[in-house]
Amino acid sequence: MKRMRWAIGIAGALSLAAIAGCAVDGVGVNGTVGVGYVGGYYEPYGYDYGGWGPGYAVGPYRGGHGGYVRDRGHAPAFRPAPRGHSMPSIPSRPRGR
Amino acid sequence: MLSQCLRSLSLFAVCISSLHAASFELPPLNSPPSTEHHVGKVVWADLVTPSLATAEKFYGGLFGWTFQSIRAGESDYVVAIEAGRPVAGLIEKPISDSDRRQPAWLAFIAVRDVDAVKRTALAHKGKLIADSVTYAMRGRQAILADPEGAVFAILASSSGDPPDYLASPGEWIWSSLHAKDPEVEASFYQSIFGYDVYDAESADGMEHVILSSDDYARASANSFPDNQGRRHAHWLNFVRVVNASDMTAKAVSLGGRVLVEPHPDRHGGMVAVVADPAGAPVGLMEWSDSDTKAEPK
Repeated sequence: MKRMRWAIGIAGALSLAAIAGCAVDGVGVNGTVGVGYVGGYYEPYGYDYGGWGPGYAVGPYRGGHGGYVRDRGHAPAFRPAPRGHSMPSIPSRPRGR
Repeated sequence: MLSQCLRSLSLFAVCISSLHAASFELPPLNSPPSTEHHVGKVVWADLVTPSLATAEKFYGGLFGWTFQSIRAGESDYVVAIEAGRPVAGLIEKPISDSDRRQPAWLAFIAVRDVDAVKRTALAHKGKLIADSVTYAMRGRQAILADPEGAVFAILASSSGDPPDYLASPGEWIWSSLHAKDPEVEASFYQSIFGYDVYDAESADGMEHVILSSDDYARASANSFPDNQGRRHAHWLNFVRVVNASDMTAKAVSLGGRVLVEPHPDRHGGMVAVVADPAGAPVGLMEWSDSDTKAEPK
């Protein structure tokens, strides 16, 4: 009986250790990858990243752009930057200067 | 007896888990450390890939990155180095065909307080993917999904955030979010990072907004392209390149494939999107030194 208790205890410990090791070991948007490292993930397979048509622009403006207000016909869900604020660009200062 | 046993075993499990985390010494973002912080800036990127060797060959060949292994415990993690500076982390994890998953770069966005941002995100329909963990030299981080499911990480760097310099070729220069409703998504990110949000002109009828902090543009949020592809909200990160066409061809020669052919973007330079041999998408963006005309106020 005592031996069986020990066996059950050890089996339980090993199972829990495995669970602990896998706690951050899932993949996909419902989990992360890497034993002991909460870092990356795998995403669902088969989604389309391409298909950008002409004029589909995603980059930053050059500095000094005057700004633009889109006519949505309603107030945007976000709080727009104050009018008169020119559109910022990315940092322009090269490293070491 | 049973409860005592479970308590002991739970403690053992926590200890094992902690040992895993503690043994993983990620390098600091800044060396020497600084007190500089730039909330809302993309400061790091990680890639989980089924083959580190293949990824190293691809990214090393494409961007000239070199790699430093910091294997710890059961994890194979390498830091990609560009011109002596760490730029990304790669970790190996097999994927089986039945997993129906594909790799993607994970952007880490700077915050001051991971747990406070996590709470705010959850209160605004975000989702927790991986809870907060502290790595001694790196800082505290967590992985979240926005209301449409785009996954991103937040990082409170313990060594400060990288300074706001123009990225050199081979370094991350830009990030774009692609979603069904960028207006609502921008509102979510504004609530957690305090971004200033600017409408961007749209030549294609799609909605595009620019997210900025510290008076620098940090990222864009964009409607999905108007085709019938099967899509999900995602972040896409861009590496600065000198010539997007040449780099696209080089990516193909290294086993990658083209997702978006090089084309001019709003700053006048070319952008393209390629997938590495395992399928992880990565953007390529030209940015000449003269492309940024003015310093922010």
